[in-house]
Amino acid sequence: MWLVLLPCAALVLYPVLFIVSESLNVGEPGVFPPEAISLANFAGLKDDATIIGHTLFVAIAATAMAVIFGFALAWILTRTNIPGGNRFERLMELPYYMTPLVGAMAWGVLAGPKTGLLNQIWHLLVGPEDLFNIYSAWGIAWVMALFEGTVAFVMISAAMKSMDPSLEESARVLGGGKLRTALGITLPLVAPGVLSAIVFVFAEMLGAFAAAFVLGIPGRYYVVTTAIWESTQEFPPNYGRAAALGLSLFIAMTVTLSIARLIMRKGSYATITGKAFRPRPINVGAMRWLYLAFVLFYLLVAVILPIGALLMTSFQKFATVVLPDSIFTLENYRVALSTGTLGSAFVNSLILGISVATIGVLVMGVLTWIVYRSRLPGRTAIEYVLMFPQAVPRLVFGLGLLWAWINIPIPIYGTLWLLGIAYFTVFLPLGLRTLAGVVLQVDRSLEECACVCGAGWLHRMRTVSLPLLRPGIAAAWLLIFIASIRELGASLFLMSPQSKVVSPAIINAWLSSSSELSAAMAMILTATIFVAVIVLFGVARTFTRAEA
Amino acid sequence: MYRVWLAAFAGILTCTPLAWAADGVCANPTQMDGFKTCADVAKAEQEGALVVYSPDPESNSAGMLDAFHKAFPKIKTSFIRLQTGALYQKLMTERRAKTYQVDALQLTDVGYALDFQKRNGWVHYISPEMAAYKADYKSQPEGYWTWGALIVAGLAYNPQLVKAEDAPKSWKDSLDPKWKGTINAKVAASGLEHVTWYEMKQLYGDDYWTKFAELKPSVFDSYVQQFDRMVSGQDSVANTAQYSAYLQFKAKGAPVEFVFPTEGLTVTPGVWGVVADAPHPEASKLFMDWLLSAPGQAAYDKVAYLSSPRPDAAPPPGGKSTADMKLLYPKDWQAFLATHAEYTKVWGHVSGAR
Amino acid sequence: MSDTACIEVAGLCVAYGDTVAVDRIAFSIQQGELATLLGPSGCGKTTTLRAIAGLEDPTTGLIRLNGDSVYDSALRVNVPAEKRGLSMVFQSYAIWPHMTVAENVAYGLKVRRRPRAEIDKEVRRALDLVQMSGFADRPASKLSGGQQQRVAVARAVAFSPSVLLFDEPLSNLDAKLRAEMRVELRELQQRLGITSVYVTHDQEEALAISDHVIVMNKGRIEQIDAPEALYNRPASLFVADFVGAANLIEGKVRQTGLVSVFETQGGQFLRVATPQGASGSETKVALRSAYIVLQADPSGAENANFATGTIHRRMFHGDFIQYVVDWPAGQLMVRRPPTEMIAEGALVSIMFSPEHCVLLSG
Repeated sequence: MWLVLLPCAALVLYPVLFIVSESLNVGEPGVFPPEAISLANFAGLKDDATIIGHTLFVAIAATAMAVIFGFALAWILTRTNIPGGNRFERLMELPYYMTPLVGAMAWGVLAGPKTGLLNQIWHLLVGPEDLFNIYSAWGIAWVMALFEGTVAFVMISAAMKSMDPSLEESARVLGGGKLRTALGITLPLVAPGVLSAIVFVFAEMLGAFAAAFVLGIPGRYYVVTTAIWESTQEFPPNYGRAAALGLSLFIAMTVTLSIARLIMRKGSYATITGKAFRPRPINVGAMRWLYLAFVLFYLLVAVILPIGALLMTSFQKFATVVLPDSIFTLENYRVALSTGTLGSAFVNSLILGISVATIGVLVMGVLTWIVYRSRLPGRTAIEYVLMFPQAVPRLVFGLGLLWAWINIPIPIYGTLWLLGIAYFTVFLPLGLRTLAGVVLQVDRSLEECACVCGAGWLHRMRTVSLPLLRPGIAAAWLLIFIASIRELGASLFLMSPQSKVVSPAIINAWLSSSSELSAAMAMILTATIFVAVIVLFGVARTFTRAEA
Repeated sequence: MYRVWLAAFAGILTCTPLAWAADGVCANPTQMDGFKTCADVAKAEQEGALVVYSPDPESNSAGMLDAFHKAFPKIKTSFIRLQTGALYQKLMTERRAKTYQVDALQLTDVGYALDFQKRNGWVHYISPEMAAYKADYKSQPEGYWTWGALIVAGLAYNPQLVKAEDAPKSWKDSLDPKWKGTINAKVAASGLEHVTWYEMKQLYGDDYWTKFAELKPSVFDSYVQQFDRMVSGQDSVANTAQYSAYLQFKAKGAPVEFVFPTEGLTVTPGVWGVVADAPHPEASKLFMDWLLSAPGQAAYDKVAYLSSPRPDAAPPPGGKSTADMKLLYPKDWQAFLATHAEYTKVWGHVSGAR
Repeated sequence: MSDTACIEVAGLCVAYGDTVAVDRIAFSIQQGELATLLGPSGCGKTTTLRAIAGLEDPTTGLIRLNGDSVYDSALRVNVPAEKRGLSMVFQSYAIWPHMTVAENVAYGLKVRRRPRAEIDKEVRRALDLVQMSGFADRPASKLSGGQQQRVAVARAVAFSPSVLLFDEPLSNLDAKLRAEMRVELRELQQRLGITSVYVTHDQEEALAISDHVIVMNKGRIEQIDAPEALYNRPASLFVADFVGAANLIEGKVRQTGLVSVFETQGGQFLRVATPQGASGSETKVALRSAYIVLQADPSGAENANFATGTIHRRMFHGDFIQYVVDWPAGQLMVRRPPTEMIAEGALVSIMFSPEHCVLLSG
């Protein structure tokens, strides 16, 4: 048991150690232990007050938009009888698969000043003034809300689905109208779930990078994550500033996440019943067409418009000012597919995805069992440690790993191994969360029986516990695989010629390629992810069906 | 002054066969197709790979390495592209971690090249092709690094948005408040930007860049983004606009015009060298010989539209020769290197990051 | 369909895709009555109840409350649940945890915009009825199961609805509490005189509290009758087996008339009272365990059925003794009071009257 536990805890904690060390380091950057320590880097943070202000503004704006969308969509899709409800729920996950990077690039094309497609239409219809400028704080918040905010929808709809339907039915039978029931009964009952979603999403937005990178820098709008990145892009690198900023961000995120956890635990009214009923859809009559329009609108801005814009751009020779003058070509795709960089990046990402997911679920299965099923003393502390990486922004974690492995004499820096370690550590909370739900449903007596029959811990794990977790394991495998492929922040600092991976490769390409070429690359990435997702869902479904 | 002294020294050296031998060019260079090499070609092909770090835009590096690969099909090429400052930082990080992955390196900031030389990062390899380069265009002593390209910069604008008579004619002109919000430049990590900053500071003092910051320019990691924004109309003017970029975009048919500022064009070299502890040392040397040779330079400039430091090289396709231009660049590279910290700080204000 | 009927259901059909949950049922319930829908799981009783409440959408049929159609498939009428003016007690109680007890109970009144003073009065009255007066300000999340059940009932009656629906309200309580609560519920219902529909799978409960019992099986109605009639004269094999403990004796009808003669497989001839006559094709006789006398006096009633048998097994159930008796026609289950202790293996004389035998086909 300890054989699995200690290495995982170490994996999580040591990069943080290096982040702390570097934040105090005022000597040569990157050296461990530091030649000289002081709090100068933290004192220097006061110069970055504007940037911190920017970060908070964008995070709050993005969270507000994400939660409003998430709540509205969750309510409409899980509680009302709009046509095609179930199918739309699946589609809501699409923006997540598209990744905020692709989303930001797409919205750059859609709503850039002067030449954004939407602005061009506006010019035709109304006048020369721009309608949108996506290279702004609100632009960044908008894109973050659309593409990182799917989490809000998932969490809130889970809360809504787990509500005892009779709580609403009794209100209706007693005469309460639909609106009254929604506000007086449904809302207070899902409030803890919604609140914890708000706080969780806020923490995620604090550490978001892609949108701020693509849309913020050209607009001269910096947030903490892009400031950290910027500090590392020069020689000598300003690691002290990066570490101080990163640590502050980490502390902010830890505090917010703890609050979220507290709300969930205290405010929960234990609404989950034993009955298998799903809450009955409410008949909203003619309003359902309005709700349908809203859902379609969301799909339009989050999926259809962005993909359409990128698709069009990827076939253009130049993204010119005047749309009708565009020349179309397949050249961009040819270059994108022929450039050795993108090809090997895809292969690497696939290899990483499969290995991390496979090893990850096995280890995480054991870890989940330890945290939730064993009688090990201090297992709440262990849970806390393993969930640590959630509070560390991916970018900062990547930096910590970089500093750690510069100083550790094992030569894995620049190899896929280092990326594998990074991904595994960063996805621990994701795997644990997914598997926890399944573990808690498995009846203790099944394992106790094996124990009485004489099976030792390892044998029980292998023959009883892990097999029972199979559906959860399949789900966790999928989630980790997809997360690996779209991963950006952690890998940005750890890549090398031998270990390029997709999202950072696209960023690098975007920095020195035309927007048309980057659009082609983004389209190839999105298509690959979609195909992978469809294939894997199909495989997983046959796998779990075979078990059922 | 320094240049004169150098020229004299070089002159003496070339006159003495003994000195020639003492310089270290190998005794029997192999004659390849269009160039000479001191590398062990058989061994290079056995090594089978070449890894290059360069700040050139990816398509340029890809094209150039493609040409090398065509000449030596047994050697597979790969590269990493980052802007010079970021590239150097990454390189140093790798070396600190005792990871040696790169064979040949290009830096567009001479300051970094000197720094790397101080740290014994370059291999001392004297290529037979280096003889064609002026002493100014090589390391002292020669064989550590060589200028593989001349990167010159002026101003550029989009003629669909800006009429020729309204366009800036000089570096000073580009400070006109009418360009507020529609002008762009490069990021701090760019060597070219460092030189431009340094030269304007020499000409006009710190005031120049303070005024420039007031225009709220957008800064970009590569010229591709700069010109992309101009072509699409989001920016009207580019400060520190690379001449090769202009030629490249013009050849594609984009609406861009170039301005040769009256003060002159700033120039930074693309410094190339073989890296110590390279995983493919012979391939690396072979590459260096090829790159510095006439056919290599021609292939490179065909793809990247750069100007070659070789006196026998043609001007880039569609462009003028640098001999016809007034060039501005630091006379004292060591002093230039020392200004880096100050430059980064100022540039933070220009880009809006601070 | 009587004019004074409070609830009328006709031709009700509820189908989900290919599954038919309720198959063309019809019944009517008079004002002030408590009718129970009784049946095993999946028989459609809860679906029927929810259809009356408006929480399920039937496929075809007619439902009338107090003469007004609330559902009529022919006329496309479907009054939404919140407008039907009924009240319901759910199996899970559905007490809202984020409100106090008083707020829960007051809900129906608040929705109907009654004045504040009236609401307070009715809430107090309702809580008194269920003996929960002291709990008015208690947060509802802090109640035990039994307390929640009472509050659910109080909430249901607070605004004096005309119809009250119960969806297995006692099934989550333990046996003793269940027995007590069913008495209280029946008394409350009778005192307030509210027409009620009650759903349960517990036949004992159904018999104890109902005015009429509607037995359902696989979406169809098997029998509608008062409890005694249901018990004494089950109309089908299913009802005989489901309601109360019954012996089913196989054989053939030899003679029909007001009293029919039935020959068992063991060769005995039983006299079976058939006031409605008999078709002659019946193959079974149902006989309740409680109606069989052991250690009978053969000189007793002349027209009774007599036989001899041996006690095969005796099981002491506390309130009664269950005997398994071997007799020529097989085995009989017999229930006797605990005072009648007979040893296993002993010979007994069995007696049961023709009125307690029911001829059934199937």
